[in-house]
Amino acid sequence: MKKVKIKTKNLDVFYGDKQALFNVNLDLNEKEVTALIGPSGCGKSTFIRCINRMNDVIDICKIEGSIEMDGFDINGKSVDVVALREKVGMVFQKPNPFPKSIYDNISYAPKIHGKGETKDELDEIVENSLKKAALWNEVKDRLNEPGTSLSGGQQQRLCIARAISVNPEVILMDEPCSSLDPIATAKIEELIDELKTIYTIIIVTHSMAQAVRVSQKTGFFHLGKLIEVGKTEKIFNNPDNKMTQDYITGRFG
Amino acid sequence: MSDEHIVKSYEEELQFLNDSVIKMGSLTETQLYDSMHSVIKVDKDSIDKIIKNDEQINKFRTKIDTQIMTLLVKRAPMAIDLRTAIAALKISHDLERIGDLAKSNAKKVKPLPLNLPNDLIANLKRLGDLVVKQLTDVINSYINRDYDKAKEVWAKDEQVDDLTYIAMNSVIEFLSKDKKNLDFSTHLIFVTKNFERAGDHVTNIAESICYLIKGEYLKGQRPKGKETQI
Repeated sequence: MKKVKIKTKNLDVFYGDKQALFNVNLDLNEKEVTALIGPSGCGKSTFIRCINRMNDVIDICKIEGSIEMDGFDINGKSVDVVALREKVGMVFQKPNPFPKSIYDNISYAPKIHGKGETKDELDEIVENSLKKAALWNEVKDRLNEPGTSLSGGQQQRLCIARAISVNPEVILMDEPCSSLDPIATAKIEELIDELKTIYTIIIVTHSMAQAVRVSQKTGFFHLGKLIEVGKTEKIFNNPDNKMTQDYITGRFG
Repeated sequence: MSDEHIVKSYEEELQFLNDSVIKMGSLTETQLYDSMHSVIKVDKDSIDKIIKNDEQINKFRTKIDTQIMTLLVKRAPMAIDLRTAIAALKISHDLERIGDLAKSNAKKVKPLPLNLPNDLIANLKRLGDLVVKQLTDVINSYINRDYDKAKEVWAKDEQVDDLTYIAMNSVIEFLSKDKKNLDFSTHLIFVTKNFERAGDHVTNIAESICYLIKGEYLKGQRPKGKETQI
């Protein structure tokens, strides 16, 4: 049995009057990839944005219920959001490197979080992060070039390297391959497979095949509700819920 | 919520695959039935037709293989659709093997004498009738996606084993009466074994249908009847 890293209990999320998530109870296992699938607007992105409290910046967003990481309520009054985001990194749909050099993209977060006080320490963090993101060999001779000069797939791996530069425990990925070609997608998927030995990964994806390939657990959301969650193999071979089956087989109407 | 795919052509491709399996099943059923009658009536005129018709069954298998390959590549089917494709693949291969066994039966008719003992004929007919019925039932369970019926067919193979045992004993008795019967008897032993093997393929089909419907394999040991020494 894998240890539960993150546990949501009766999670409700509202944007003003509109309820986006309804009573979501979901356990996310440590050092495992959990894929979240569902049609657009079903709440899967809202869900992962709750885990690093990205929704805090939306004034009208209200959260009820609890989200525990290692048994601690991440919405507790004493929780430092910056410290939480150090533990929970995020990679977005479109690669969004800072308009800075490749080196600065990686060293920026460690500097903020007080890691790597000397140049040597920072160099080491940059190298390790880029190696973990399988990008080091491609960029080691051009660290001072802008991050935006890289290809789309390389930029996304740079963003993954940036996310892991502060040594987080959890990585959230919101459709990380949707703007990438199949080769770049394959590299990211290969990377996810390696990263899961170190990090807990939650990935939102519209690609069923990708969910099958990369995840061990899959949750299906629809209209803000978690309809079904289970082992990926079971969900895509023989789901219990008809709605899940209709969605994954393209019968949703 | 709908039971049909959003993409109509996907729905049509699955339907086409389903129809192909049913047509192949129906053709195989006819072949097995004809081969049985060819043996028990020692109808040498029917041999060529049965051998020729087997080509059609083989063509069906190739056609179904191609349909499934295309479906897998084009649609990357999931859940019930994937199971439909995999079940069709397995069922069509079992049907093709049953077709081969029917052809093999027909080939054995040529050297048979016209005056085979009545009890031997009766025992072979009982076995053949049961295996043909099993095949009919399993194809119907595929058409109707009837889990219970498929499971019933699976369990009923025990009776095929028992009738094989009886038929085989009749053949051995026929052989032991006169050594001149050795040549014919060898052919009849093959025929009996062919029916038993066809029955085994029917149980494979039943298992594929159960997996298709429920997404899990039948558990436990299939009931077994008497085993022949040959």
